Amino acid sequence: MIPLSYYLTFAFTLFIIGFYCLVTKRNMIRLILGIELMVNAANFSFIVFSSYWHAGFIDPLAHSFVIISTALVGSVTAVALTIVVYAYRHYGTLDVRKLKRLRG
Amino acid sequence: MFPLPLEILFIFVVTTPFVGWLLAKKNRQSLCGIYAASGLLISGIALYGLFSQVLDGNVVSDQQTSFAAGFRIDMLGVFMATIFIGLGLLVAVYSIKYMENDTGTMLFYTLLTAMIGGMVGVAFAGDLFTLYVFWELMSISSYVLVAFRKTEWEPIEAGMKYLIMSAAGSATLFLGMSFLYGITGTLNFQSLASALATAGQNAWLSMSFLLILIGFGVKASIVPLHTWLPDAHSAAPTPISAMLSGVVIETGLYALARTFFSAFASFQVQWSLVLAVLSIVTMTLGNITALLQKDIKRLLAYSSIAQVGYMLVGLAVGTQLGLTGTTLHILNHALMKGTAFLCAGAIIYRTGTRQLDDMAGAGRKMPLTAILFGISLFALTGMPPLNGFVSELTLFTSAVEANMAWLGIAIILNSILSAAYYLQVIRVLAKPASSEKLEKIKETPIIMLLPICIMAILIILLGIYPDPVLDLARRAAQSLLSMGG
Repeated sequence: MIPLSYYLTFAFTLFIIGFYCLVTKRNMIRLILGIELMVNAANFSFIVFSSYWHAGFIDPLAHSFVIISTALVGSVTAVALTIVVYAYRHYGTLDVRKLKRLRG
Repeated sequence: MFPLPLEILFIFVVTTPFVGWLLAKKNRQSLCGIYAASGLLISGIALYGLFSQVLDGNVVSDQQTSFAAGFRIDMLGVFMATIFIGLGLLVAVYSIKYMENDTGTMLFYTLLTAMIGGMVGVAFAGDLFTLYVFWELMSISSYVLVAFRKTEWEPIEAGMKYLIMSAAGSATLFLGMSFLYGITGTLNFQSLASALATAGQNAWLSMSFLLILIGFGVKASIVPLHTWLPDAHSAAPTPISAMLSGVVIETGLYALARTFFSAFASFQVQWSLVLAVLSIVTMTLGNITALLQKDIKRLLAYSSIAQVGYMLVGLAVGTQLGLTGTTLHILNHALMKGTAFLCAGAIIYRTGTRQLDDMAGAGRKMPLTAILFGISLFALTGMPPLNGFVSELTLFTSAVEANMAWLGIAIILNSILSAAYYLQVIRVLAKPASSEKLEKIKETPIIMLLPICIMAILIILLGIYPDPVLDLARRAAQSLLSMGG
C-alpha cells in the first residue's frame, strides 16, 4: 500500500499549482481553471482520507461529499464563465489586468 | 427533511421565477417583490415556532450518528436566522420600488431568496459539510447579485474580483475541512468537539486551522483578505449592498465562531491571540481607509470592515460576555448598516450620484431620509443611547474582564476615529444645496421609507431598552459555548 504522505504531497502540490495559476495568469478562463484545480486538490484529499481512516473500509460519507462538491464547483464555474462573457463584451479582452478601473 | 423555515424559503425560491414570469406577462412586475417578501414573512413566522423550542438551551437535531450530515438548531442558529430573514424581508420590501426600472426583477428576487436560504442553512447546519453546501448556495447567489446590472462595467468587474477571491477562499476552506476529516473521521460539530477536546496543537490541526481561517476570513473580510469588499459592496445594487454588509459578511464570522469553538477549542489560548491581532488590524485599517473615501457606498463598505474588527474582539476574548457582545453587535450592525445603506440608496435614487460632494444639500430636500441616515450614523459611531453603544460597551467590558484591556482601548480609539467620517457625511447632507439639480429632488417614496423607518425605530428602541435582546444574545453565546459538552 502506498503511504498516505505520498497522496497528501500530491494533493498539496495540486493545490499550490492551482494557487500559482491564480496568482500569475492573466487570462480569466485560466483563473477559473486554477480555482477548479484547488477544489480538486481538496476533493482528492477527501477521497484519500476516506480510505485510510479504517483499514479495509472506505467511508462512503467522504465520497458523497466529493460528488456534491463537484456539482457545486460546476455551478461556480458556470457563473464565473457567464461573468467572463460579460467582461469580454465590456473590455474586449480576457486579460484580467485590464479590469483595474476599481481600486480595491 | 429541512427545518420548516428553510423549506418555505426553498419553495419560494423555486416558485418565484414562475410567478414573476406570469406577472410580467400581465405587466404587474412589481407584484413579484410582494410575492418574495410574503415568502420571507411566512418563513419568519415559521422560525418563531423553532424559537420557542430552543429558547431554554434545547437543541433541535435530526442527526442520528456522527457519520450523518444534517441540521442542528440551537439558540445561536435561530438568533442569526432571525437577523437574516428580518433584514431580508425589509430589503425585499425596499427593492420593490428601488428595482422597478430594472429588467429581470423576478431573477433578482429569486436570487435574493436563495441567498437568504443559504444563510439560514449555514446558521442551522449541524456539520461542516452541510454548512459548506449552504455556504456555496449563498456565495453563488451573491456573485450573480453583485454583477446583476450586467450592462454597466463596474458591477461586472467587481463581480469578477469577488468571485475569484471568494471561490479561492471556498476551495481553501474545503481543503481545511478535508484535514479535519482526516484527523477525526467526522465533520459533525459535536463529534469534532469531543474528538479534539484534548488534541492540543499538532501540525495537521494547525494547518487545518490556518486554511479554515483563510477560507472563512475571505468572506468575513478580515484584513488582509478584504480587498474584494469595497468594490463588490459599492458596485452591487443598493439593497444587495445592505444585505452583503449587513448579514453576508457576518455569516462568515458566524461560521468562524462555530468552527473555532467546536473543533479548535483545545488551543483557544493560541488562536485568541491571532484573532486579537487581526481584529485590531482590521478595525484600524477599515477606519483609516474609510476616512479617505469620496464615494458614499465605498465609505460605508470600509466602515463595514472596521465593524467586523469590533466583532472579532468578542471572538478573541472568547468568554461568554465576549460572545454575547459579538452576537449582539451582529444584530445591531445589521440594523445600523442596513439603515445606512438603504438611506444612501434612497439619496442615490433621487440624486443619481454616489459622490459625497455632489450630494451636498440633499438632506435639506429629503429631511426625513437625512434624519434616519443621521440616526444610523450616530449609532455606528457608538453614541449613547443608540444600539451601537450597548454592544460596543459589552465588547469593551468583556475585553477588560479578560485582561485584554488593550483590545478594549483599541475599540474606543477606533470609535473616535470613525466619528470623523460619519460626522462628515452628516455635515455634507446638512449643507445648503450646491447645484441646480438638487433643487428639484423630492422626499424618498413612502414604500422605500417604510423599511428604513422600522429599522431606525429598532435602533433607538434597542439602544434605550436593550435587556431583552441582551438576554437572547447571552443565551445564544451560552449555546455556542456548551456545544462541546
